[in-house]
Amino acid sequence: MKSMMGIIYTGERDAQLRELTTNRAVAAVPIYGRYRLIDFPLSAMVSSGIRNVGVILQRNYNSLMDHLGSGREWDLHGKRNGLVMLPPFMTRDNVGVYAGFLDAVRSNLHYLRRSKERYVIVTDTHILYSAKYDDMLAAHIDKNADVTMLYTADPSMRRNGAGRYIEVDENGRVTGLEVDPTIARMPYTYMECMCVRRELLIDLVDRAVSRGQYHLTRDLLMNGIYEGTLRVYGYEYTGKAWFIDSVQAYFEASMELMDAETRRNFFDTDRPVLTKLRDEMPSRYVAGANVKNCLVADGCVIEGTVENSILFRGVHIEKGAVVKNSIIMQDGCVQKDAEIDHCILDKQAVIREETRLIGPRNYPIVVAKDLIV
Amino acid sequence: MPAKKRCVAMLLAGGQGSRLGILTKQMAKPAVPFGCKYRIIDFPLSNCTNSNIDVVGVLTQYRPLELNAYIASGAPWDLDLVSGGVFVLPPYHSGASGEWYKGTANAIYQNLAFIAQYNPDYVLILSGDHIYKMDYAAMINHHEKMGADATIAVRQVPWEEASRFGIMNTDENFNIVEFEEKPKNPKSNNASMGVYVFTWEKLRKYLIQDEADPTSSNDFGKNIIPAMLGDGQKMVAYSFNDYWKDVGTIESLWEANMDLLADKPEIDLHDKKFRIYARNLGMPPHHIVDGAVVENCLITEGCEIMGCVKHSILSSGVIVEDGAEVIDSVIMPGAVIRKGAVVRRAIVAENAEVTSGCVVGENEGLIAVVGPGVKMPENTQVKAGEQYAEN
Repeated sequence: MKSMMGIIYTGERDAQLRELTTNRAVAAVPIYGRYRLIDFPLSAMVSSGIRNVGVILQRNYNSLMDHLGSGREWDLHGKRNGLVMLPPFMTRDNVGVYAGFLDAVRSNLHYLRRSKERYVIVTDTHILYSAKYDDMLAAHIDKNADVTMLYTADPSMRRNGAGRYIEVDENGRVTGLEVDPTIARMPYTYMECMCVRRELLIDLVDRAVSRGQYHLTRDLLMNGIYEGTLRVYGYEYTGKAWFIDSVQAYFEASMELMDAETRRNFFDTDRPVLTKLRDEMPSRYVAGANVKNCLVADGCVIEGTVENSILFRGVHIEKGAVVKNSIIMQDGCVQKDAEIDHCILDKQAVIREETRLIGPRNYPIVVAKDLIV
Repeated sequence: MPAKKRCVAMLLAGGQGSRLGILTKQMAKPAVPFGCKYRIIDFPLSNCTNSNIDVVGVLTQYRPLELNAYIASGAPWDLDLVSGGVFVLPPYHSGASGEWYKGTANAIYQNLAFIAQYNPDYVLILSGDHIYKMDYAAMINHHEKMGADATIAVRQVPWEEASRFGIMNTDENFNIVEFEEKPKNPKSNNASMGVYVFTWEKLRKYLIQDEADPTSSNDFGKNIIPAMLGDGQKMVAYSFNDYWKDVGTIESLWEANMDLLADKPEIDLHDKKFRIYARNLGMPPHHIVDGAVVENCLITEGCEIMGCVKHSILSSGVIVEDGAEVIDSVIMPGAVIRKGAVVRRAIVAENAEVTSGCVVGENEGLIAVVGPGVKMPENTQVKAGEQYAEN
């Protein structure tokens, strides 16, 4: 499907992820042993046939740039198209930080103008899901829609005081939209992913920003729906999705994805999730290691006990160490006879010998990157 | 004309490796999977990358499809370069002539023009059937320092095994004075590793000379080395005594895999300064399900372990169902071990399916093998030393 391009917004929304986002964008948050959040929409775009992807960077984008590189791992390093980084930049018109998605697109209109694809898929990165954008585009064309919004009926995707909710009529047309209500009244959660014709997006953005509007959903879509100026349709996503809007949500999503059935449905072998490679050796389970229900990436050395946990690449669990219900990111180490439960160790964190760190069930302890406890 | 290079590596990957039986029926030996996520050729290729050698010719002949697809652009080894890279070199026709590679020396002879493009000082000859980590740059430096015409890497093998190898007899300065192919009564235990550095001009001269001799079998060991020795060229032995293993037979391939499971493996794949690179399939991390038993194993991405695995190598995407038992075995990528199957001292090749009730291998004796892509009927038994390829 050559007629579709992608734009990924790696917005700010990072306040509640605490230490996990002090130095990185939400899109760069490591998840599920070897990925970062952006890998999921980016890989889904690639497996939907998209070959031109613009990534709007906002703040803390250093680790994201490092992760994406030239786009080679996603086959997006070509000459004719590929991965385009769109960081904020200072000019007479730009202040150096995007005021919102519309402002970001306006600053990069030149990129949209010189792209050749007829349609654009726009998505955010704080929702973990695995969509088939090609199917979504087919529905978009079928309905002759101006904008198609991806939504889910999953009740776990609702939040009090946050989120975007929609209602649709029997034809699938979106008839109402509410943004950040204290209690959502509308039945479906908008997944902050939409499909739109490229030239229409250019036109809409230009008109909105010239009227001082910077908010995609609140301003642009809201007006289009209620004034009837846009044919806005919904496209239901029926797979599993997770809102990664807090440490607790991050933790729960990770644990739920460990369930074999959930994982098999989420990871489609025909549509692999691609990520930056590290060329780690396979993981080593030493005699005496005791492992139950764990997800383990390459490069780990396991000598101790690990239960219900996720180990990222290059993690070392030393002899006598006990790890339960925890997530240990890249190159983390739990030393001899240490014990952790309900903890999230950010990259390169170390738990010293014989240290005990037990988090409460519903509020996992986050050990910041490079920290030694 | 590409820029001049100090050294060009030529990797001989054309052999069938018939002693690997059904494992090499569909693919050349260097493409055979090894150690969970590697293939044999990853070792010499990564050695080149780690030795800063950035032009590598890979000479292929037997069943090259799998190998070609695996090497492709060379990106996994950082060998997709403007100024060099990895090149697959099959035999080709030129005008009226053209022929298969007649021998190792002839394979290089047919590609003299390829090497000449880079006008190198030295040519490194490698083979694609050994597992080892070696800094070739150190060997080339040694060659240069000694002012040698040819340098041959040797390792000390146990005396009782010396008669299985090509043996280099040296003087006290490690100059080679005599070469004996598989001698009955070896005078030394310095065995050739099949890794040679030649000064380019000398190599070219001897390859052309060798080609002109219709009685020659066009082989480095049988013809080129003896001819150079006979002419009194300076031939030096370069001693290498780190881990090195020939994986040309089922038993040795299995053993080399098992070597990775030692308490302190002799070959350190963890070393970040000397990585072994491989093409990655992009699979999710592996999952050890509640109730699985995992003892002393190497496991990689994409695996799902529900059964009992002990002292084994589990490659990408392997599934071991509950109640299945895998002990002292090598399970290659994509293979499935169904409920209640038992695999002991065996190699299960790529994408094979060991169905329930099957018993592969025995507690002792030779290694059993299940061939690539085979789906075994239920309750089949494969005895020690047998190779199962029906279906």
